[in-house]
Amino acid sequence: MRIHRLGKATASIVMSMILFVVCACAESSQAGSAQEQSKEFQGHIDKYMEIHKKAVASVPAIPKETTDAALIAKHQQQIADAIRALRPNALVGEVFTPAVRQMILATVKQAVAGKEGESAKATVLGEGNPKSGESETPVNVKVNATYPSTAPLSTVPPSMLMSLPMLPKELEYRFVGRNLILRDTTANLIVDFIPNAI
Amino acid sequence: MKPASKSLRLTFVLLFSLLFQIQAQPQTRPAVEPRSAAPVAAAQQPVKQPEVKFAILGDTGTGGREQYEIGQKLTATRGTFPFEFVILLGDNMYGGESAKDFQNKFEKPYEALLSTGIKFYASLGNHDVPERQIAYKPFNMGGQRYYTFKPKDGVRFFALDSNYMDQKQLQWLENELKGSGSEWKVLFFHHPLYSSGEKHGPSLELRKVLEPLLTKNGVDVVFAGHEHFYERVKPQNGIQYFILGSSAKLRKGGIEKTELTAKGFDTDNAFMVAEISGDAMSFQTISRKGTVVDSGNFRRVERKAATND
Repeated sequence: MRIHRLGKATASIVMSMILFVVCACAESSQAGSAQEQSKEFQGHIDKYMEIHKKAVASVPAIPKETTDAALIAKHQQQIADAIRALRPNALVGEVFTPAVRQMILATVKQAVAGKEGESAKATVLGEGNPKSGESETPVNVKVNATYPSTAPLSTVPPSMLMSLPMLPKELEYRFVGRNLILRDTTANLIVDFIPNAI
Repeated sequence: MKPASKSLRLTFVLLFSLLFQIQAQPQTRPAVEPRSAAPVAAAQQPVKQPEVKFAILGDTGTGGREQYEIGQKLTATRGTFPFEFVILLGDNMYGGESAKDFQNKFEKPYEALLSTGIKFYASLGNHDVPERQIAYKPFNMGGQRYYTFKPKDGVRFFALDSNYMDQKQLQWLENELKGSGSEWKVLFFHHPLYSSGEKHGPSLELRKVLEPLLTKNGVDVVFAGHEHFYERVKPQNGIQYFILGSSAKLRKGGIEKTELTAKGFDTDNAFMVAEISGDAMSFQTISRKGTVVDSGNFRRVERKAATND
């Protein structure tokens, strides 16, 4: 009887240990996968930035500051055209590949989750969002499309920005409705997007 | 300073006080809060008495009649209160940023001021296209979404992009605030950390990350826009907050007065003028009709305590 009890106890200890090892392995594999996702994302960003730099170099430079607002707009347009010419067949998901998308979506979801995330969600979908009902300009969420200068830019909550992978200053995350877009700030261009990210 | 110009200045100060009835308002005085001491090097420097006059406009870029009228009133005010520059609290361009927009929504309404060499320093709002505005010389942003400038010894202004407050910007702000030692620290950006606005209310997300930095680093005053009215918020953690988002747009009845409100004005458009003199700052909020709707002064008592440590 006693031997039987001891056997039972040993079995449960062994089971617990197996469970612990399995959990630890799963966690480590998840962490590894997050690292891989980040690395993959960085690779896509680097690749895009090469195109961006090439495009900027291909158009006449303008001074860092000028009183000529038309020149600024023209320069921005020229860079956008050059980028389009360098990636004419760009498709949704080229930067936000399935693995990257998974990572970004998880981060966004976490940032707006629960009571803590309510104000972050409200910030994203609030007045600055072009689809908040206060903007009269429709934004065509399409790869390589120009972000209209007449439309507002959504406010992205700091808590979310600090969790998302960092971007070079030429790129930023914004929301149009529930879609997360990657915007080229110099060209005012939509590089890629994730539909229904929030 | 020459005796003649000194007496002229004194006369002006007296006239200014009489004309606009500046009243010392104890409630505008920031509560003395313990703050981290200024860096030793800064504390050992000789104390300079800054004298800066400036004007404040928020949510301006409509190109509408109200904006032009405020522009005229601001120009007229400069006759009696010779401010040296103007800060813009964002939403400098609504609904388009073509060259014509820059003319109609900025250059023309403030033509009289611009022609006399008055500088404007802009911050970005959610209706602004950053890359177009940071490169626009008359906005004096130096090609940056956020930046700092020092109009006089002892006073430093910080313009932030509250629409995209990322880690880089926060780090930059912390470094700049730390580096500015015992100077007056005046921050301006679009989204208010505190507000009694019925529509937007305070930007809680921004407050979470920004307020600890501001209180830790001895910020004195914060100007924000976004809400299309004027509100002077009771000092929070030793910082004086103003909202001025009605220099062209107006949300009539937009304030739902709360215990935060020291003074609110939501029945007409408005602009502000302010003067930093030594350890005191005086301000006036003036409506489109030219009425002084709020005024007062406060002293940054706690700063002295910090620098004397």
